[in-house]
Amino acid sequence: MKWQCTLLQRWLPEYPEGDLPAFWKGRLKSHLDRCPACRAEQAALRQVVEAIQSVPKADLGPEFWSEFSREMHLKLVRAAQEGQMAPARSVWWGRIPYLVGAPALAALLLWVAVGYLNPERPGLTPAPQVAQQESVSPEKLAAAPQPPAVALEEPKNFVNVAKTNGDEVAPDDELDDLDATLAGMTPQEREAFLKKLSQHEKDGSCLTRYSAISWA
Amino acid sequence: MTDAQLVAQAQNGDLPAFEELVKKYQREIYGLACRMVSDPEEAKDLAQQAFMQAFIHIRSFRQDAQFRTWLFRIAINQCYNFLKNRKKFGDPVDADEVVLVGEGDSPEEELVTQDERRRVYAALEKLPPKQQAVLTLKVEQGLSYQEISEVLGGTPGAARVNYCQALKTLKKYLKSEEENEVAMHTSPAVAARVPRG
Repeated sequence: MKWQCTLLQRWLPEYPEGDLPAFWKGRLKSHLDRCPACRAEQAALRQVVEAIQSVPKADLGPEFWSEFSREMHLKLVRAAQEGQMAPARSVWWGRIPYLVGAPALAALLLWVAVGYLNPERPGLTPAPQVAQQESVSPEKLAAAPQPPAVALEEPKNFVNVAKTNGDEVAPDDELDDLDATLAGMTPQEREAFLKKLSQHEKDGSCLTRYSAISWA
Repeated sequence: MTDAQLVAQAQNGDLPAFEELVKKYQREIYGLACRMVSDPEEAKDLAQQAFMQAFIHIRSFRQDAQFRTWLFRIAINQCYNFLKNRKKFGDPVDADEVVLVGEGDSPEEELVTQDERRRVYAALEKLPPKQQAVLTLKVEQGLSYQEISEVLGGTPGAARVNYCQALKTLKKYLKSEEENEVAMHTSPAVAARVPRG
């Protein structure tokens, strides 16, 4: 079966005189003219409808209906006497709990959210780190196993170059540059340069790279 | 008097107005229940229960819907509950029990009609309750898809798809019933032809 047949067969029970939009009616007509399978399906569905309609409707005669009415009357009277009728549902009185409850709930949620998310709220401000540290008693600290001491001293000969900008430059490169600069100078020029460099270091206007060099 | 006027009077506690509504719709509701449960006695009880439910809750009925579709919805819910219980506790109904008027004129015609009716009832009973309801509302009560959707819930498009599916399923069941019947009728003849001993 083609996809088109599947699509159009959904409308088949309504063709031709049923509740069918004009667009689908036209499409079905043109399709049925050239599709024998759908024509057969339409005939079969029509037979089914006729089979249902051919089964006579239940009608048990006037006696049955008079008895039906009498029984219904008795039941209805009993129900009315016992007050079984449910009260009328008012259009807006019945909705008051919803009308009041929804904004109240929204306000409550807002209050809770603002209260908990506000960092300046005294009750919920996280305790400072110092306070936590103070809460630990000195005895406990003393009893706690001490980590092995690690030598954190920097070697004296270590040349700390270019830490200010966070980019580390290998000290050897700097030394090579400085050496190369100094190598091309006469002794007087070298002395003047170093003096100037130390002067700048004192002023703080010197390039940090050079100022940190300890050998000068 | 229109339905709206009768309903308004019934909502004010006017019993004769409600009884007027009962008389107006009792055949349709009974027919619907009879088709749904295939049992005339149960159908009568279910129809009366549906009217009682409608009477009890008439004050909550709003006039923006049709009273007829509201009544159908109540009746179908009653039938659903009954079918659910019957499925649970088991109480198969013989299609022969269903007594209907409009029999054939001659005994032969009557037999043919009864056979046909039995076949249709057996096939209808196999359908899921929702499809039974759609078929009954569409074919017998002549409701539009919009009204069917108001009775059963969902959209008119869904009601149309349900109706089409119900017809297809019923066609399949009718075919299988026909084949069974042919097999039952031909088997004695075949058995007679089989040489014995």
